[in-house]
Amino acid sequence: MNAIEVHNVSKSYGKVKALDDVSFTVGKGEVFGIIGPDGAGKTSLYRILCTLLLPDQGTATVDGFDTVKQMTDIRRRVGYMPGKFSLYQDLTVQENLEFFATLFGTTVEEGYDSIKAIYSQIERFKDRKAGALSGGMKQKLALSCALVHSPSVLFLDEPTTGVDPVSRKEFWDMLGNLKDREITIVASTPYLDEVRRCERVAFLDKGKVCGIGTPDEILTRFANVFNPPGIEHGKAETQSQHGEPDNVIEVEHLVKAFGSFHAVDDISFTVKRGEIFGFLGANGAGKTTAMHMLTGLNQPTSGTGRVVGYDIRTEHEQIKKHIGYMSQRFSLYEDLTVAENIRLFAGIYGMDDKEIARKTDELLDRLQFAEHKNTLVASLPLGWKQKLAFSVSIFHEPGVVFLDEPTGGVDPATRRQFWELIYDAAGRGITVFVTTHYMDEAEYCDRISIMVDGKIKAMGTPDELKQKYNQPDMDHVFTYLARQATRSSD
Amino acid sequence: MTLKYLIQKEFTQIRRNAFLPKLIIVFPIMIMCVMPWVMNMEVKNIKVTVVDNDRSTLSQQLVHSIEASNYFIFEGQQSTYRTALQEIEKSRADVVMVIPQDYSRDMTLGKQPQVLIAANAVNGTKGAMGGAYLTQIVTAHVNPDIAAMQSRVSTLFLYNKNLNFKLFMIPALFAIVMMLMTGFLPALNIVGEKEAGTIEQINVTPVSKWAFILAKLIPYWIIALFVITVCLLLAWAVYGITSVGPLALIYLLVMLLALFWSSFGLMISNYSDTMQQAIFVMWFFVVMMLLLSGLFTPTRSMPSWAYATTYVNPMSYFIDAVRTVFIRGGGITSIWHQLLALLGIGSVMATWAVLSYKKNS
Amino acid sequence: MKQFISFVIKEAKHILRDKRTMLILFGMPLVLMLLFGFAITTDVKNVRTVVVTSSMDHLTRQAVDRLAASEYFTITQVVATPREAERVIRNQKADMAIVFGPDFASKRSGVQLIVDGADPNMAQQWTNYATAVMLNADGGATNAKMLYNPQMKSAYNFVPAIMGMLLMLVCAMMTSISIVREKEKGTMEVLLVSPVKPLMIIIAKAIPYLMLAFVILIIILLMARFVLGVPLAGSLFWIIAVSIIYILLALSLGLLISNVAQTQLVALLLSAMVLLVPIVMLSGMLFPVESMPKILQWISAIIPPRYYIEAMRKLMIMGVGIKEVAKEVLILTGMLALLMTLALAKFNKRLE
Repeated sequence: MNAIEVHNVSKSYGKVKALDDVSFTVGKGEVFGIIGPDGAGKTSLYRILCTLLLPDQGTATVDGFDTVKQMTDIRRRVGYMPGKFSLYQDLTVQENLEFFATLFGTTVEEGYDSIKAIYSQIERFKDRKAGALSGGMKQKLALSCALVHSPSVLFLDEPTTGVDPVSRKEFWDMLGNLKDREITIVASTPYLDEVRRCERVAFLDKGKVCGIGTPDEILTRFANVFNPPGIEHGKAETQSQHGEPDNVIEVEHLVKAFGSFHAVDDISFTVKRGEIFGFLGANGAGKTTAMHMLTGLNQPTSGTGRVVGYDIRTEHEQIKKHIGYMSQRFSLYEDLTVAENIRLFAGIYGMDDKEIARKTDELLDRLQFAEHKNTLVASLPLGWKQKLAFSVSIFHEPGVVFLDEPTGGVDPATRRQFWELIYDAAGRGITVFVTTHYMDEAEYCDRISIMVDGKIKAMGTPDELKQKYNQPDMDHVFTYLARQATRSSD
Repeated sequence: MTLKYLIQKEFTQIRRNAFLPKLIIVFPIMIMCVMPWVMNMEVKNIKVTVVDNDRSTLSQQLVHSIEASNYFIFEGQQSTYRTALQEIEKSRADVVMVIPQDYSRDMTLGKQPQVLIAANAVNGTKGAMGGAYLTQIVTAHVNPDIAAMQSRVSTLFLYNKNLNFKLFMIPALFAIVMMLMTGFLPALNIVGEKEAGTIEQINVTPVSKWAFILAKLIPYWIIALFVITVCLLLAWAVYGITSVGPLALIYLLVMLLALFWSSFGLMISNYSDTMQQAIFVMWFFVVMMLLLSGLFTPTRSMPSWAYATTYVNPMSYFIDAVRTVFIRGGGITSIWHQLLALLGIGSVMATWAVLSYKKNS
Repeated sequence: MKQFISFVIKEAKHILRDKRTMLILFGMPLVLMLLFGFAITTDVKNVRTVVVTSSMDHLTRQAVDRLAASEYFTITQVVATPREAERVIRNQKADMAIVFGPDFASKRSGVQLIVDGADPNMAQQWTNYATAVMLNADGGATNAKMLYNPQMKSAYNFVPAIMGMLLMLVCAMMTSISIVREKEKGTMEVLLVSPVKPLMIIIAKAIPYLMLAFVILIIILLMARFVLGVPLAGSLFWIIAVSIIYILLALSLGLLISNVAQTQLVALLLSAMVLLVPIVMLSGMLFPVESMPKILQWISAIIPPRYYIEAMRKLMIMGVGIKEVAKEVLILTGMLALLMTLALAKFNKRLE
């Protein structure tokens, strides 16, 4: 018997067809991937399978039960982690976990083994409120909550967005254990390495199933989406264009402490003009905190730092004039149009109307975005929003731009386009300071640092690091270093 | 210069909102068309029941004059005080008048009869006023001397000859509309940006605190101007009520009040983490300021500690001043100290709103 | 059962952890009770009076002294002409003027009261009091007795109203917001997909708010009795029984709102617009229903707090038996049955 059978399911919201005649089956104990760009209909599919939505047409069964007629039976058997799952911010880590365990009729002790690998990393913060965790740690907690019970079918909607590579590996190892217990798993993911760990995947685009097969089959068939060719980057030229390279960012012995907890623990580094600097680290290693100090959002506890020549302690308003910033949470105004957003931020940086109008048209042409000039940002797909947010953050030609996980949850083709924009900016002499959890992106950087437990463990060009630690690629370098972390496992 | 772009953004956001433009137009109209009818504390329809233990010609005369009075609704007679009280318990009567057994005998003997008036005083004002009027009617019957003296006291009601409650309440409604429109909307504004995450993007730009806050305040001042114009027009069109004093002063007062409320709203918003919190805190202060402002009850009747709060309560200054101008026709000389106080409190609040906005922590 | 309890505990933690909201929730009844109990009164007190007289003869002085001696009036100044008095009143330096004729002593000419008529109720009361004081007519032919509220405290009138407002606010507004918050944050999806029955989720969500409402009710009753000295004249059993009907009613309303609203903001505005404003304005809490035009009286007939406040005024203050409020209680019960059925029938077991 198949664990999941979907026959000709369609679902529309008004005129928008979210799912269009979707059919597939998933065998018992199979790890099945659903991949596809943002807005492909993945979430609607999950909700139909979890009995949260009724299909317009077609039928679906889960574990032999009909999703329309046998709602209670299904709900007793499945586990579901929605994409925008955000836990209870005002409950502590422990309380969240206990609540969900009880909810699913089990206890933390009983389920501990199945979540140990991930939960042990955040267990040390178990009395901290979930709202006070960093983005990636929240996601880990959410994973723990979703896995604490043993359902017969588990639905995971992009469970690892924003999670560092090491933890992602551990998470998939855990899914492997579940598979041994005959649990069927349906998961979606934007990460290629995760796609490869599925037994079969379905590629969903615009509500239609474009293909089902083994990961390799699908990834080769749709190589233009998943496996875009690498980007050529003339590193040497950009630096020499500006004569002798001077330092845009200089940081010495920077510390940020929250009580006795040192989120950033004595870091020192420099970034040269025109450089693309990758700022890597596991979740909770202190990346965002460090970035907030550099951008003048936070005051350091001790240490000194200069950004574009200004002191981060005293001259933060000066710094803000010469930098661009794109935060982890997408933060353009959703209720303004594309042009209005550009106009607002350009105006804030003191451009006049004429200049704004000219540069707006220029930018939109370059992005091939002209027809969406007057579209509300809220109605754009995620990938476009991020490209737009980046373009807005460098619209005033800042000396350095800070990007905090700019490509979270985006498919490989769109990420590639995003990096073309980054190279373009670097080519114009804008220094790029970027954090990411995609190790293929780390390879694109001129130089990277890897933060572990609030300290910088390694720094250099990707090739230097690979040599030094004797690893084949950045993914392995990162895993090798991050596994040495003590902060989260003691 | 950046101010222009920021203000434009605020207006676009208000316009785009599915709810706000409707609210800004419909709300003042609703309030002005419905509230004056509701906020009527006029005491009328007092129901009277009489227990006549005397049953003489004289006592029946008294009963008739109550029946004839258009102030009371005569609910008939009851045979005993007990049954009359039951009428009160059943809400079929508000006041009971008991004429004593020897009413006419006392009257002819020139003695003062004792008529009992028992009023349901759960609502104190209603009980007191019903009792007072009934007393007047009885006194006129029982004591022609005092009645004669009473007739020598004439009363002139200034400014509001017909004792029209709507005239009293309409200027107060301006205060309520301003409070809701320019107080609650800003309270949701910054905390809304916090929840959407856009505030972080603004915080890394070089925009100055003053420009950012000012850009958020100005749209509400313009809304205030629009809203007060609508209110004044409606007061004239629907109720035929216009300001006796200069309109310019009304506008000035309204703008000063808008300065206070919009700054106060933003200040609350700066300190709040969620919209729910902002609304709750706002609501708390609004209720307190409203109740202590003299809008419903005279401030001078309050005990001294409560009266002391009116010195820092902008609503109290506003309501005092706007009634003086609108109803009594006072000029700038009548209200200059309220104007100064409003300006002072408003400026302090605006500064607080700017200082409480933290671009860097 | 274990799931149910842990659900209730979780919900209680949400409430307890939000310190600011807690402060408001418990601060509000306290402050309201104190304000209505001690500060908000329509007593005639400290009425600023101007005396207008051209000659201060013996009889005039006597009348003025009598006014000044009463706690109702304060003589602020003496002017010569009514015109001056009018100016003083306009500038809000006085509320009332008493004009004594030039030959007041000879009893031929009378007294004129010039009263600031802006506030009609107060203007009439000032007139009544002033006449009474000057003519020394108090305690004449009538013997006035103020039933139920001999000191005429406004608290007697407002305590039931505060109960009606706060209980509705806590139950309806807070419940709807807390349910909608889970929808917004995506946790509702997980809860629905879990083995817990949807009805259980709702009941578990409602219980902490029910208890909160109960605590607030007790606080108000205790304060009314011991701080404000409002008697709880009627049977405590029925006061609490009727309150429970009302609390359940409010919870059903909150549940209905949470079905309609998709975001917290909408839930907040809906509760404020369709609950709070009509309650404050049309329930007879501040403004007497019978003074309203007919059409508003009809609208107020469908507002639950109107009946609750009415019933509480009778039960608590007047101390009547349950029979006298049977009508109100029956209407409330009917509304409760209707709203509860509607809310449960409408509750979405899925996302649509």
